[in-house]
Amino acid sequence: MALQGIWSGTISFSLVAIPVQLVRAIAPGRISFRMLHATDYSPLARRMFCPQQGSLVPPEEIIRGYEIEPDRYLPITDEELESLTPERSRTIEIVDFIDMAEVDPLYFDHPYYLVPLKGGEKSYRLLAEAMRQTNRAGLAKFVLAEREYLVAVKSTGGALTLVTLHYNDEILSAADVAPREGASAATVKDRIRGSIEEMMAEFDPAKYADARRQKILDLLERKAHENAPVEAPEIATEEGEGPPDLVAALELIMAEVKKKL
Amino acid sequence: MAGGTIWKGVIHFKDTSVAVKLHASVREERIQFHLLHRRDQVRLHQQMICAYEKKPVPVEAQTKGFEVEEGKYLIIDPEELEQATPESSRLIEVHEFVHTAQIDPIFLERVYYLEPETASTGYGELVAALQEMGVAGICTWTMRKRSYLGALQASGTVLRLNTLRYADEVVGVNALGLQEIPVSERELQIGRDLINQLTAPFQPEKFVNEHEQKLRQLIEQKARGEKVVVLRPRTLKPTPDDELLQALEASLKKAA
Amino acid sequence: MEIDGKRLSLANLEKELYPSCGFTKAHVLEYYRRIAGCIIPHLQDRAVTLKRFPNGVENEFFFEKRCPVHPAWVRTAEVRHGAESLTACLVNDLGTLIWVANLAALELHVPLARAASPGTPDAMVFDLDPGEPADVLGCARVALILRDLLSRLGLTSCVKTSGRKGLHVFVPLNRPETTFEDTKSFSRAVATILQKNYPDLVTAKMAKEQRTGRIFINWSQNDASKTMICAYSLRAMERPIVSAPLTWEELEDLAGQADPERFRISHSEAVNRAETMGDLFREVLTREQNLPHL
Repeated sequence: MALQGIWSGTISFSLVAIPVQLVRAIAPGRISFRMLHATDYSPLARRMFCPQQGSLVPPEEIIRGYEIEPDRYLPITDEELESLTPERSRTIEIVDFIDMAEVDPLYFDHPYYLVPLKGGEKSYRLLAEAMRQTNRAGLAKFVLAEREYLVAVKSTGGALTLVTLHYNDEILSAADVAPREGASAATVKDRIRGSIEEMMAEFDPAKYADARRQKILDLLERKAHENAPVEAPEIATEEGEGPPDLVAALELIMAEVKKKL
Repeated sequence: MAGGTIWKGVIHFKDTSVAVKLHASVREERIQFHLLHRRDQVRLHQQMICAYEKKPVPVEAQTKGFEVEEGKYLIIDPEELEQATPESSRLIEVHEFVHTAQIDPIFLERVYYLEPETASTGYGELVAALQEMGVAGICTWTMRKRSYLGALQASGTVLRLNTLRYADEVVGVNALGLQEIPVSERELQIGRDLINQLTAPFQPEKFVNEHEQKLRQLIEQKARGEKVVVLRPRTLKPTPDDELLQALEASLKKAA
Repeated sequence: MEIDGKRLSLANLEKELYPSCGFTKAHVLEYYRRIAGCIIPHLQDRAVTLKRFPNGVENEFFFEKRCPVHPAWVRTAEVRHGAESLTACLVNDLGTLIWVANLAALELHVPLARAASPGTPDAMVFDLDPGEPADVLGCARVALILRDLLSRLGLTSCVKTSGRKGLHVFVPLNRPETTFEDTKSFSRAVATILQKNYPDLVTAKMAKEQRTGRIFINWSQNDASKTMICAYSLRAMERPIVSAPLTWEELEDLAGQADPERFRISHSEAVNRAETMGDLFREVLTREQNLPHL
C-alpha cells in the first residue's frame, strides 16, 4: 500500500487556512500484471498514437478535447479548466459543519486522508480535535482532477478523513424498488429473527478474504515453483568475448586455474 | 427512478432464501474528454509499445506477466486466469450478522438497491427483522467473475446491499505518521464555538455541481467561437501557529 | 515510539508475516534493529527498492521504488528511472530502517551505485543463479573458481548467499572513475571464459534452455537500472532466511559438506554471526580496486 500524495493545497474554515496533502485511504488489492511482448518478454508501455500523422505523440503535444459532433473535437486547455472555479482548485473551503449521523451512507463515494504539510501541523490538530469534541464534520466543495466534488471532512483517530459525496441529483430513488405494502407473516419474521440471533458476531473485516485474489495468488505460487521467470534479453551488443587484453589475460589465468584443480 | 436490473441473486442463510434483483443507487453523468493531438486536433489512439524495439505491438503478440523479481516475470496464460475465477452462482451467502453501528464507514464502497423478485417470499420480513434488530448481514457473492464482500441492510422498507472493501485495502490512520501536537484549551474552546456557529443541517439538495455547469458553458462558448477569459487559481496563505488564536477569534466575530 | 529523537508510529505488530513459523512484524522489526549496525552501511545513500508484503509472505507483494508518504526526517533522493524522475528513500539511520520494516518491506534491494553518483558502481557483482536441478552447491563450486581467477588478476572478492537459491560474489572497486560499461564488459568476459572452460557447469547466457542443470552467471546485473538484495536483508521465503555474507573458508567448508540446507542462514544465526564476527561484507564498502586489462 503506497501512500502517494494526490493533491496538495489548503483546507480552510472561516479565516483559518491549513496547508495539507491529500493521500489515498484505499489501496485496491488487485494483483497487477504487466503486459509483455510475447517474443522477447520486454515490458510494454502505453503510448498515444496519432492516426493522421501516423506516429507516436509525445506528452507535450497531447491536449484534452470534447466531442461536439461525431469526430469533431473542441480542445480545452488545462488553464481553461482550472479557471472555471479558481478558488476551489487549491482550497477546500469548509462552509458548514454538519452531524454525520444526518448523512445517509448512500451519499458516500470515496475516502481519502488529509495530512498536514509543514507549518500546518498545529492548525490541523486543532481542527481534528475540535471536530472530534463537537462530533461534527465539515462540508465543502472541492475541485480535484478537474472534477468538482461535494466533500465531508471528518475527524477519525486524530486524522482528517475527506470523503467525496454524490450530488443529490446523482442519487437514484428507491421508490419504485420498494415492495408494495403486503401482509407480513409473523412466523416468517420470527424465524428470521431467530436465525439472526444465532448468527450474531463482531464486525471484523480481517476475517474476510478476497476469494478470487487468493486463487490467483495460489496459481502464481504454483507457477513460481514450476518455472524459472523470464527476463527480457539485453539489447544485443556485439557477440564477442570482450576487450582483447582482458580476454588474453583471462585465458592464461584459466589455464593455471584448471591445472591446479 | 432507479436504474435497470444489474444482476439477480438469492440471499441465503439457514432456512431463509430471498430472491432479489440488484439496482444501482447512483448515476453519474459527467462530461467526458478524449485525448487529442495538439497540432491537428485529431483524436489519439492508445497503443502498446515494446520498450526495446520502440514499435507498436499487436494484441496477438502481447502476453501477461507477473513480476516476481525486479525485471523478471512469470508468464500467465489467459486460460489459467480464467480457471482462477471463482464459480458463478446466484447465491448471496450471508455468513454472519453484526450490529450496523460497528461497521466503520470507511469500509462501505457502493450501494445496490434490492428489489424483491416477483413472488419472492421473506423480503418484507427480512427488512423488518434487520431494521428492528439494528443489524446487517455480512455476505459474499460472485458477480461477473469477481468476488464481492458486502453488508445487507434495511433502509425503510427497502433492502440495500452495500459492497465492502477488504481489510487489507484500507490504509490505517497509523500509517500516516501524524504527530501529537499540543493545542491550548483556549484555542480549542474557540474552535468548538466556531464549529457550533457554523453548524447547519445537512441539506444535500442545496449543492449543485457548479464546475460541471461552468464547464458546459465554457464548451458552448468556445464552440460558438467566443473568446474565453482565463482566471488563475489563487492559493490561500497558511495560518502560522502564532497567529492561530487571532485567526480563530476573528473568525468567531465574523460568524456571529 | 521514538528513535534518536524521531517519532514513529508502529502498527499491527502481532501480524504474522511468515505464518508457517509464527514470525510476526514485531519479530521482523526486532531483527532489523539488531542487525542495523551491519546493514545500514550497505543501504547508506542508495536508492532503496522496497519489496513489501503487507499481508505476509503467502500473499501479494509489490515493489516500491518511490518513497511512500513519510515522516519529515526520512531522507530521500531524486533518481532517474527511464525517462522519468522519482523520489526514492535513503535508509541511512535506524529510524528509517525501522520505519521501512514497519511498512512490511521484508526485502530491501539496492543498486550498485549510490544515489548521488548513479553512473558509478562501487562494486562489480557476479550473480550466480542455479538452474534446476543444479543448486547452491554448484554455485559454491563456481564461486570458488571465480575467487581463484579474480585473485590471480589481483582482485579481492567477497561472497554472500542470495537468501534464495544462489550466491553473490562482489568485487569491491570504490573508485570514482569506474563505469557500468567497465564492470559489465569485464564480468561478461569472465563469465564467457568460464562458460567456455566449464561448459557443463556454467552458462553466461540468459536463455532458459541454456540454464537447465547449470549455474548462470548473470553478468547483466552490472547495470545502473538493476538492484541486488542488500546484504543482511530478509528474504520472503517460507522462513525468515537472510542474504548472508560468508567467509571464503566457510564457503569451502560448506561446499565440502554437500548439504544445501546449511547455506540457509536464518535471522537468528545472522544476528549471532554479526555479534561475534561483525560485518563480513565491510570490505565491499571500503576496499579500493581497479579493474585490470581494460
